[in-house]
Formats: sequence, structure tokens, C-alpha cells
Amino acid sequence: MTWTAKLVSGLCLAAAIVLFGLLGPLLTGDPATIRDVGLTPPGGEHLLGTTLTGQDVLAQLAHATRGSLWIGLLVGVLATVLSGLFGIVGAYAGGVADEVFSLFSNVVLVIPGLPLVIVVAGFVPAERRGTWTIALVLAFTGWAAAARVLRAQTLSLRNRDYVAAARVSGEKTWRVICVEILPNLLPVVASQFVFAVVLAILSEAGLSFLGLGAADSSTLGTMLYYAQNGFALQREAWWWFVPPGLVIALFGGALALVNFGIDEIVNPRLRDRGRRERDVVAVRAQVAPAEPDAVLTVRNLDVVYRTARPVHAVKNVSLTLRRGEVLGLAGESGCGKTTLAYAVNRLHRPPAEVTSGSVALEDVDVLALGPEELRRFRWVRLSMVFQGAMNSLNPVTPIRAQLQDVLRTHRPDLSASGRELRCAEVLRLVGVDPARLGAYPHELSGGMRQRVMIAMALLLDPQVMIMDEPTTALDVLVQREILNEIKRLRDELGFAVVFITHDLPLLLELADRIAVMRDGEVVEHATAEELYLRPRHPYTRELLASFPSLTGERGALLR
Amino acid sequence: MSHHLRRLAFYLTALWAAVTLNFVIPRMLPGNPVDILMAKLQQRGGSVDPAARTAYETLLGTGGRESFAEEYLAYLGNLLRGDLGVSVSAFPAEVSEVIAGSLPWTVVLVGLATLLSFLLGVGLGAVAGWRRGTWLDSLVPATTMLSAVPYFWLALILVAALSSGLGWFPLNGGYDVVLDPGWSAEFIGSALYHGTLPALTIVLSSVGGWLLGMRNMMVSVMSEDYVLTARAKGLTDSRVMIRYAARNAVLPSVAGFAISLGFVVSGSIVTEQVFSYPGIGSKLLQAVQNNDYALMQGIFLVITVAVLGANLLVDVLYGLIDARTRDRSTVS
Amino acid sequence: MTTLEARGLTKRFHRTCAVDDVSFTLAPGRTVALVGGSGSGKSTVARMIARLIRPTSGEIALTGQDGRPVPRRAHRDHVQMIFQDPFASLNPFHTVEHHLARPLRLHGRSATEVPELLERVSLTADLARRRPHELSGGQRQRVAIARALAPGAKVIIADEPVSMLDVSVRLGVLKLLARLQREEDLAVLYITHDLATARHFSDEVLVMHRGRIVERGPSDDVLTRPRDPYTRLLAAAAPDPEARFRQGGKP
Repeated sequence: MTWTAKLVSGLCLAAAIVLFGLLGPLLTGDPATIRDVGLTPPGGEHLLGTTLTGQDVLAQLAHATRGSLWIGLLVGVLATVLSGLFGIVGAYAGGVADEVFSLFSNVVLVIPGLPLVIVVAGFVPAERRGTWTIALVLAFTGWAAAARVLRAQTLSLRNRDYVAAARVSGEKTWRVICVEILPNLLPVVASQFVFAVVLAILSEAGLSFLGLGAADSSTLGTMLYYAQNGFALQREAWWWFVPPGLVIALFGGALALVNFGIDEIVNPRLRDRGRRERDVVAVRAQVAPAEPDAVLTVRNLDVVYRTARPVHAVKNVSLTLRRGEVLGLAGESGCGKTTLAYAVNRLHRPPAEVTSGSVALEDVDVLALGPEELRRFRWVRLSMVFQGAMNSLNPVTPIRAQLQDVLRTHRPDLSASGRELRCAEVLRLVGVDPARLGAYPHELSGGMRQRVMIAMALLLDPQVMIMDEPTTALDVLVQREILNEIKRLRDELGFAVVFITHDLPLLLELADRIAVMRDGEVVEHATAEELYLRPRHPYTRELLASFPSLTGERGALLR
Repeated sequence: MSHHLRRLAFYLTALWAAVTLNFVIPRMLPGNPVDILMAKLQQRGGSVDPAARTAYETLLGTGGRESFAEEYLAYLGNLLRGDLGVSVSAFPAEVSEVIAGSLPWTVVLVGLATLLSFLLGVGLGAVAGWRRGTWLDSLVPATTMLSAVPYFWLALILVAALSSGLGWFPLNGGYDVVLDPGWSAEFIGSALYHGTLPALTIVLSSVGGWLLGMRNMMVSVMSEDYVLTARAKGLTDSRVMIRYAARNAVLPSVAGFAISLGFVVSGSIVTEQVFSYPGIGSKLLQAVQNNDYALMQGIFLVITVAVLGANLLVDVLYGLIDARTRDRSTVS
Repeated sequence: MTTLEARGLTKRFHRTCAVDDVSFTLAPGRTVALVGGSGSGKSTVARMIARLIRPTSGEIALTGQDGRPVPRRAHRDHVQMIFQDPFASLNPFHTVEHHLARPLRLHGRSATEVPELLERVSLTADLARRRPHELSGGQRQRVAIARALAPGAKVIIADEPVSMLDVSVRLGVLKLLARLQREEDLAVLYITHDLATARHFSDEVLVMHRGRIVERGPSDDVLTRPRDPYTRLLAAAAPDPEARFRQGGKP
């Protein structure tokens, strides 16, 4: 089911139950009328049968549904207002207000709700326990979890630049909260509201079942209470006991569906995706005759994103990477350079699919490998360094474990001390003190993390390393250090590199040959010198002109 | 403020709030509980000496004869001595004895069932998220529906079907009443037999929440770069799934475990009512039905402290599985 | 015409000193580039001048066209800011129209000026009804520039205005800023880590390192003949293809 289908079917079911609660009591008779037809099974005059005292179950059900929905609505609104107040306002204000508000929410959260309600109900005489008392108590014990969620969301939103921009343009605080932040919180607030409503209906049912419900109202919970005390199940009068629970379950289920829908709106990653049978389709097992010193050969590669409107991300790309060479892949966002790099290692995710072409690493036809062969191939022959070093390392394990993982999997014969030695050795190669092996990623600086990633890529002495924007997120000086490190290692160890970046000047300095990509196509492929001195494609010239030089004539660009 | 200081402030405030709530509620709400209690005590042939009255007044309020502050201090003093008063419904037993007798039943049944449900939900959720779109994944909405069903309704239907109908499980109780409670194999076996159906109902109704949460986190984590890196490293699927994806995806569930404990305790009260289980929840209800205010308050306090303690435990555990919390000097 | 003078700006966060005694003047018709690596404190300076964060010490003084100091509450009529990431600085929930009409109204102008404002940043008026996700990165940053112009501001702080954009649209946005600056006699603070654009688009350069200004002067002097060791490192770090292919210097 797509998220819209979930949302719509959930809303329809919920609306049907709400309508039943609203209109049902008008159409059915008096639920309290006692007749001498106790425990009549469903059918005839009483569609859902009668209770022990001959009351019509359908009429009771309609009134009880209305009562339960009313409590749910009351509590939902109250709890949402409370959670918004403590969650959103506190988080936006920050400082002491946030500390106090969040402490308060956390304390309310750990104080167990039902026991508290029971204690309160125990002190309040039954005749004074009205719907409002119950609603207030349920709202007070039920808002805190939502406040925590809203606080976390608000904290992340208030640091967004558009909030800062609104403040700079002179917006008042309440307007920033209501107009800039709140609309972006709506899906979360809606889902918390829905959750609060369901929780309230369930809690009220629970309370009523324990005999501690509101004295003045009839709800699905009180109906169940009477059914239970009338031994409905023991008398096999299922028509009396089952419907109230079923209505709650259906309503809860409907709102759960609504929440599924909202979840997928908030977090697009959760949306349904067709499962992909294969990542490679329709490939002829034909490896083009490789050039003598070629190590990686890509021929006529096509990658398509199989979405509603298919996107041809890589179009008929052919590249050759020679032994020990640095091949630069330049292009702007969305040009397909990253898709290409992932497809070479078959790391592209669904719905991306290789539709034709071939990838050969020396004698290995990469696109023809089976899953297990592919796994054994990866990192041994071809390793990768990704853009965000912060995100490429597992945040919850020390870097030792992440380096050793590779050796454990690909070099099972290596002893523990052998692994430790090798890890220390590669760290030393990239200029990181092996004493840092026990460190967690967050304890290292951005540059250090990227060095660790490069060390990891070196572990198995691969022939090819694909580097996807390895220096983009780094400070200028750190970027320079890492680049020098890559050059030195390449000279010492002789691996070949595919270096992907949008920074053409960087490639001109580093790469032996450069391929310029646009809209999935390689528009120019030449040696760095050729590309710099005699660019042929207009796009290459445009890119070259986009980088002002530090040494050329000043102000030339302004004219 | 440092992370640990903040947590300490939290626990102290929560403890103080629980203790104070316990003190304030009977004084704020209508009715005169002390008189009701004394009347009950008299019915049961208890002594109506002034000392007993003073003890209850310290607990529930004197009706303005002493100042609020004096009452509060006396109340705190009694708590510190572990003196929770005398139970009326179980006269002449002390409240603390009644609690000590019933607490283990609840802790074992609810604790084990919750842990089981958590492990099952998280485990299935991890697999469902990892294998998106398979039959296991389509199980997720179904289990979520189970969480929307009123717990006691489901439990009662199961009792009717499995115990009354098929006779597979006993109808109610915590053990066979003909046995003497003790560490005999026969008694433990009987307790296990009686606990199975209640535990099963708890798991059934709570597993969906864990499963859904874990499955969604898993799906989110799977598009993180470190999972991609792990795949690029040629690690085996199971290793990527467990060490990289699930290891990170489980963190919010563990944090959520602490938060859910309050709800778990609430659920246990209903469970014990349905199965007439001899735990602390049914004692609380008995206390309410018999206006046994001292017992009510004592149980509420113990439940809160237990939940706080469990939270502390989860906090420590969380620190162990996520290094980032350990060295965080400021919380963003 | 507004002149902004920052004197002795200092900002401490807990124990670290993010900005330490920074002073400079933004004069009408001139662009000052604030250059430095990440964590040098340059964005903190921007946020202090935009009054998003309060300086620990130091002052920011504005002098209006009439030579009189601008009162504090009128600060935002005069000083506006352009943020680094146009994907984050526009609210995904609102239309372009909202982003421009609000600052216009807040500063006593009419929302009917929106089309004119869009025209000034070389966008067509029909964009007003769209939402940020329907625009390209370059278009978004132009909207952000228009938003900064909306209150009639004369001092513009541009915090890395092009570093998140695709390379082929960067120059276009910078040229737009330069044109607006000339036409409207704006005082611009251009914050960047890119020495080359700083040199081409500014009159004066301040180099920041660890919260302090380590070197300052006319942009050509500072960037072609740096004296401070840190500035030299920065200048040397930029990729320089010419050194590789045109040794000898002759084009």
C-alpha cells in the first residue's frame, strides 16, 4: 500500500466509526430500556442481540462509541496542547526554560500513569468522578511522551537557517514559532494527536473495566465492564462482549493506518519501494577487449532509476582506468557521477538498475558475479572512500572493530595479533597514531576520520580505489593535507584511483586523465593537460571558467 | 550542565515529585480518609488508640490541626524509616509486608514478559526492516493492530478460548492453591504454568510497538553511509545487518524501553485483575476498593521507585552501548 | 547609505573563545571579504552582526545617511543577511511570495513590490507562487538575496553565499551580488573560504584564524603577497592547475 492509500483507508474507517458514534444514537432506541428478552442472540428486532437485562446491544454500542470518542477527543486536544506548550515553547526558548520544561516532562513521563490515576480515582468518591475528571487525569498523565518528541523536533527546526532568516528579517518570536516552525511540525503534531486519542480511549476502557471510570457516562469501556460482570463470556453471549472491543480495535487500527501514512510523509525513507529482484538486468556477458595496461574497463554502461518516471542516470558511459593512474570524474550535482561509481561496484540501491554495458576489473566481469562472488570481490580488488567520513564510520563501535571487520571477513586465516599489526600498519601509512585504534569516530576530527577511511581502503592492497568527493566536507587546509596524502600513497603503493569531485581545478592538479560528466553522459574524456589547455566541449569550458584564478587579472570576472 | 549531572537532577526530582505527589493527593482531594480508615479499622477489631490515628494523619493529613510543613516533615521521616503504615484490608499486616509479599510476582511475570516482548519485537523488527517487502514485513501492520486492541478484552477472550474452552491453561491465580509457596520444584512448575497465559497476552499486545519502531529505524539506518560502507567492504550480509544496521537502529528502542516502563506497570495492573494474579497490581485495586489508603500510597510509591530504578538501569546500559553519551559534556 | 562599524567584537562559548577582538568597518559601495578555514569564527562574526547572537563584548555601531547613529531597534531595517545553504534558509512550507512579502511588510513596505524585487535579482515574477523545492539551487539563493534586499537594507552580510551551489551557477550569483552592490551602493561583508573569489569580488580582505584577524589589507596585496604564515598556507592550499601545466607563467 502506498502512503496515500494508507492515509485514505485509515481516515475512511475512522470517519465511518465517528459517523456511527454521531448518528447511531439518533437512529437506535434508548439503550437503557430493559426488556424481558435477556441475552437474545443477534437477528430480527435486535441486530446485535440483547444484554442480560434485555437492552439492545446496538443501541448501547452507538451511545458507548459516542462516549468513548468524546473522551478520546477531549484528552487528545488537552494532551496535544500540553505537549505543544512544554515541548515546542520550551525547546524554542532554550536555556533555563528548556531545562525546566524538559525536566518536568521527563518526570511526568516516568511517574506511572495508571497507578496514579487509580490512586486519584481511589480518593475521589465515585459520584464525583465525571467525564471531565477522567479526561483531565488522562490528559495530565498522557502528554509527556509527545512533548519529548516535539521537543526533539523543535530543537532541530529552531537551528535551521530559515528560522534564523525570519529572525533577521525582524519577525516576532511568537510569529516565528507559529508561522515558521509549527507548519513544519504539523505532521508530527498530527501523529501525536492521533496517538493520544487512541491511548485515551484504551486507557479509559481499562479504567472502566477496573470499575474506576466516569460515573456519568456510557463508554465502550463501561459497556465491557457490564458485559464482564454479567458473565457475558461465560454465558457465551459473545455478541455482548465482542462488539465494543472490536469497535475500539477498528478505530485504533484505523488511526494506526493514518499514523503509518503520516510517518511516511515525515520520513520518505519509509515509503514502500518495490523489491528489486536483481541489480543488473539484460547484460551480455561480453567483456570488451581491454587495453593492455587497463585495470578497470567500463563499456557502454547504462543505469536507470526505475521510478514512476524512469530516470536515465548514466547513459552509455565508457571509461578506462590504467594501472596506477588517477582518473578524475568531474561533474555537478545530479550528473550521475556518484551513480556511476556505485554501479561499478554494484552498490547502487533500488530502484537503480544497470540496464546494459559491462564492467571489467582485469579478468573479472563484475556485472556477472553472483552474490557471494561479489562479496568476496569487494574491497579485495576494489575499495571505496566516501564523501562524509563522519557518516561512513559506524558511530557506535571503535575504529579498531571496523578495520578488523575487513580482515576477519577477507583474511580469515590471519591471527588476532596479525590483524592488530596490519591495522596499526595502515594507520601509520596515513599518518594516524595507531594508539587511536580504540577511539570512537566522534572522538576524531573530520580530517582524521577521512584518513581512517583511507587506511581502511588500503587494508587489503586493492588495485583500484574509488573516491567519491573525499575532501569536499573538509576544511581547506585539511583538504590539502589529505590530497597530498593520496598522491604520496598512490606513488608508494601504485593503486589506481577513480576520483570523483565537482572541483575541476583540484582534478587538474591531481588526475592523469579526466572525464567530464553532464546529465549522465561523459561529454569529454582527455588527459588533464589536454583538457586544461585545449578543452573541446563547451560545457568543459564553462566549468573551467567558473573557477576564478588566484593569480590572474583581478576584476576580469566582473565585466 | 553535564550529562551526568542532568541525569542525577532528573532522578532526584522524579523521586521527590513521586514522594510529594503521594503526600499532596490525599490532602487535595475531597473526603476525610482518616475517619473512613478508623471506622474500617474498628470493624476489623483493630485498636483505635490515638497512636494509630496519628500515624494515619501523618500519612493522609490532619485536617489542619498541624501545619503543612510539619506534616510533610513527619511524613518524610516515616518514609525514611521505611514505615508505610498499617494496612486495613490485610490487618494487622504492615503495608511493607503486604508489598514484599506481592512485589516478586509482578516483577517476575511482568518483567520477563516485557523483556521477552522487547527482544522478540526488536529481533523481528530488525529482520523485517532488513528484508523490506517480504512476508515478514507485511506482518508489521497486523501486529500494530494488536496493540490497538484493548488489552483486557483480548486477554479475556483468550482466557475464554484457551482456558475455559480448551482447558490448556488454568483460569486464574498465580499458582495452584493446594501447594505451599516455597522453592519446591512442584511450586515453581505450577507458578510457571499459571504465568504462561498472562505472559503470552502481555507479549501479544505489546510486541507490535517494538516491532514497528525497530523496523522503521532499521529502514532509516539502512540508508546511512556506514551501512553502504559496510556493504562496500564485502562483509557478509548477517554481519552488516547485525553489527552495522541493527546495532545503530536499536538505540532508540533501548531509550524507549525506559520510557515504556511506566506503561508496562500500568498494563500489569489490568493483567493481574484479569487473571486474579497475586501481584502488586491486584493489591492496589483491592486497596482502592477497600479504601485502604495507606496500602494504596505505599504501592504507588514502590511502583514509582521501581520504575525509576529500572530507568536508571536502562540509562547505564545505554551509556554502555552508545559511547557518544558517555563523553557528551553538553547535551544539544 | 549606512556605515557599519564593529569594534572589539568578542564571543566566548563556555571556555572557548570563538571570536577574539575583531574590528572592521563596512562602508557603502565597498565589499569586505572575511576569509578563513572552518572553525575560524567567521560565521560567528556574521551572526553577531546580524544580531542573531549577542557578543560577549564589543560593539556594533551603525551610522545612517544623515550621519546620525541608527537606533538599535532599527538595526534590521539596515542590516540583512544571506545564508550559506539556500536549501535550508528557505522554509519548505512557504511560497517564495511569503518569503519576500513578510520582510516587506515588517519594514513598512507593501507586498506589491514582490515582482519588482524578483526582477532585481533576475528572476521572473511567476516564481512567486512556487515553493522552495520547485526551484534550483541558484534560484533559491537569488530568492534569499531578494529577501535580504526587501527591508531596504544597506548593509548585507553574505555568509558563504555560493559554497553550497553548483559550480556553474556560482559566478552568476556572485556577479548578481556585485551588480546590486554597485547599483545600490551597498556595504557588503563577503564571508568565504575561497581566496580566489574573495580576491575578485572584494576591495578589502580580513583573514581570520582561530577567532582572530591575522592579516588585513587591500585584497590584491593580501592574497597575492601574503605576509602572515596562515594566509600563506591558505593561499598555497588552493589547487593551482597553472603551476602544473604552465610553469614559466606565460599564458
